[in-house]
Amino acid sequence: MLRERNKSPEPPKIGEDAPVTVAAMEAVFRDCYDFESRELHIGGDAANRVRLCFIDGLVSGSDVAEQVIRPLTDPERFSDVRGPAAIAMLLGGSVYVYTAKSRDKLGDAAGDLLNGFCALIFDAERTAVTFEVKSPQRRSVEAPKEEKVVKGAKDAFVETMKINTTLVRRKLRNPHLKIREFPLGERARTSAALVYIEGFTNEGIVAEASRRLGRIRAEGALTSAVIEENMVDNYRSPFPQVISTERSDKFCMNILEGRVGILVDGLPLGFLVPGTFSQFMKVPEDHSGHFIIASALTLLRYLSVALTLLAPAFYVAVAMYHQEMIPTRLLQSMIEARASVPFPTALEVIMMLLAFELLQEAGIRLPSPIGETVSIIGALIVGQSAVEASVVSPVVVVVIALAGIAGYTMPNLDMGSALRICRFFLVLAAIFLGMFGVAIGCALLTYHLSTLESFGVPYMTPFAGSEGRHLSRALLRRSMTVKRDREPELKTGDGGEAKL
Amino acid sequence: MKKTILAALALSLALTGCSSGLTIFSNYRRIENIELVRTITADKAEDGVRVSVYGTAGEENDARMYENTGPSIGVAMGEMILMPLGREAILSHTESMLVGEDFARERMGECLDYVERYSETRLDTGLLIVRGGAAIDLLKGLSGSDPAASDILAGLDKNISRVGEGYVFTCREVAASLAGNGVALVQCVRGVEEEKLFEARGDLNLEPDGFAVITEDGGAMEFLTEEETLGTMLLLMKLRSKNVDLPVQNTVSTVSVEKIRTSYEPVFGEDGRLLKLKVRLELSANLISMRGAADVTRREFREEAQTRLSGIMRDAAAGAVARSQAMGLDFLDLEGIVSRKEPIRLEDMPEAWESLFPTLPVEIRVESRLERTFDIVDPPEISGEEEKSPWEKLIESLKDN
Repeated sequence: MLRERNKSPEPPKIGEDAPVTVAAMEAVFRDCYDFESRELHIGGDAANRVRLCFIDGLVSGSDVAEQVIRPLTDPERFSDVRGPAAIAMLLGGSVYVYTAKSRDKLGDAAGDLLNGFCALIFDAERTAVTFEVKSPQRRSVEAPKEEKVVKGAKDAFVETMKINTTLVRRKLRNPHLKIREFPLGERARTSAALVYIEGFTNEGIVAEASRRLGRIRAEGALTSAVIEENMVDNYRSPFPQVISTERSDKFCMNILEGRVGILVDGLPLGFLVPGTFSQFMKVPEDHSGHFIIASALTLLRYLSVALTLLAPAFYVAVAMYHQEMIPTRLLQSMIEARASVPFPTALEVIMMLLAFELLQEAGIRLPSPIGETVSIIGALIVGQSAVEASVVSPVVVVVIALAGIAGYTMPNLDMGSALRICRFFLVLAAIFLGMFGVAIGCALLTYHLSTLESFGVPYMTPFAGSEGRHLSRALLRRSMTVKRDREPELKTGDGGEAKL
Repeated sequence: MKKTILAALALSLALTGCSSGLTIFSNYRRIENIELVRTITADKAEDGVRVSVYGTAGEENDARMYENTGPSIGVAMGEMILMPLGREAILSHTESMLVGEDFARERMGECLDYVERYSETRLDTGLLIVRGGAAIDLLKGLSGSDPAASDILAGLDKNISRVGEGYVFTCREVAASLAGNGVALVQCVRGVEEEKLFEARGDLNLEPDGFAVITEDGGAMEFLTEEETLGTMLLLMKLRSKNVDLPVQNTVSTVSVEKIRTSYEPVFGEDGRLLKLKVRLELSANLISMRGAADVTRREFREEAQTRLSGIMRDAAAGAVARSQAMGLDFLDLEGIVSRKEPIRLEDMPEAWESLFPTLPVEIRVESRLERTFDIVDPPEISGEEEKSPWEKLIESLKDN
């Protein structure tokens, strides 16, 4: 009963293909306080009426007044012009708006209103003419906040898709650069754009990306997970398979590599497919610095992957089962340090890993200055106090900190999170089976990663799926003076050879 | 496919064995309960063998010693490992095994067997024979209240080879040599009563005492003199450096031999017989001190010093070869050297190595070079020849070989 009482009355169902009338439009936007509708007299003639509709806030009031209302009500311009003739004049440029569309379906007209258009509805003709008069209230382009830039472009994506496509266009001045629009979400109708270079990007990947964007059945695309989880081949895998970036230069570089980009209105991110493991190990700075330094840093990141994954598990296995692997002096220190700790090694490591995650989570959730303070307090005071109170041994703190710091070197946050999850599983395997468990865990992880594919491209390419060729491409960066090959798995239109 | 792999991995869990508690793998030990054994001793006892282990439970804990007797090393050690109350002794960090001379004469093979066969002990455990007493007494005398007796033994390995007084062979090296040519060398040590370096130390200090020659059958065991030990180290290329006093021009000059290069060249006759073995030793030395006065920059001084050094080293090497031939035991592994140089000709020799070896002429040539005198002026060219470039030297050495 209560449920029925709280239920709002069902709105009258109007199909999207219904003709555009004032009544139908007002019915669609019933109970919308920001929906504005007013009557205008064309050419100042009270007998020649038209209805102006718009969503307050989405449009610029002054633009509507100056660019639409003023010329429309000018008697000299619209003297005794009615119906179809008025529509023809409006579409022909008699008002000062650069984008004008004729809409005879209610769904299209309503969609335009939601996208920052105002609509002039001609009831008798059952037609609306819509003009783009978007509100200029939008966030300006700023430097990226999450992906730090030292030596490179500092224009990050914003929430407005038009600005984002402009950023891309400015960097890729190529007439073959295509930006196809897709509406996303059954209710939110968010705009998304597929970005690729026609004739260069693999058509199969473009077609598959279009198909997957088209099949998204979410209510709206307000979060990045909607795109990422719907675009990937295996959504159960914790490893990211879609590259997301807030940096427009990284986005464009990947487009030039032969990837397909996706921009979504409302998200200050660009998405790129296919995503391969080696791509998550690279940062745009690799292409800004010297190639030897960039190569060394890339190798360091791969080392970090091994460290963050294996350091705690390796410690657990060695400390619990394989003490003969520890150098004598170190083992003596470890025995000494462990003597006063009441918890077994397994519990000690799990506790420290959880504490590390808690501190990290607290640092992220709290406002920036407080978050940083919490992290410092956690790392320094809690860690030191825990050692002094003999709750944990110093070696465990060192191992967990080392694994944590190595994890922070991951250029992609999602990759870092996936490795953190795997780290827990490897520690559990080490607790139960020692080094044998670590070996099994690594084998399963390698198996999982090797079976992943992203848009037909093996996820671990070139380590797997390409017969080991082009390994240097993943691990090192060649000098820009050397003609370099693209990822052959992307099957670009130029056969994989970049033009200098 | 996934199911097959998962099933295979699940089945392989059986390989780990079972144990009680949370863990599946049976090798679980709580690290804080470990007693770390670093030295094992074995001595002759009335009812078999007297073994002891010397270990610590942590860096700052006092070292502890446990001993036991039994009919064999395996039985005595097995009982003793259970002794440390509340702790689990592990032998994987054992660095040295001290064997009393009496026990070594009779049952050296058993010591090697134990180290090789027991799952925890490592093959790179250093093997030492204690001369003139029991191994356990030496260890007790060394340690005193200082827990670092094992450190002294571990340090011995590095230090004695650095000063050219000996070389600690590992169980692996000894076993490989015994298996290869039926004879092996083992470093001997002796405890000497000297002034304590510091109070915490025990009453004894450790001194190297030449090499012992042991045989595969465990029968004869002989000891090499100091000079023979030096010659053996030269020929086996185990000498890293050696300080030698040389009487040169009314002075006693001490030189430090730093670079030693040994090369062998077997000479075969037309009938396939091994006629002789040429050994070439190249030594580089630096003058480090001098008692008396002499002009070290003069060519005469250098030539005399080089000649005397070559003579000492040649005598030492010749003594080692003579002893080896007299014993009829090829502890210098000359057969191995010839077989690596000329494997086919050695195989086709009309005479067996065993019968040839005792009378095989070994020609030893030593070339010494006094490199630096640490004089303030640059050393003059003493050979009278133009200095050769490294490239020319390389070509020359390749031609020689």
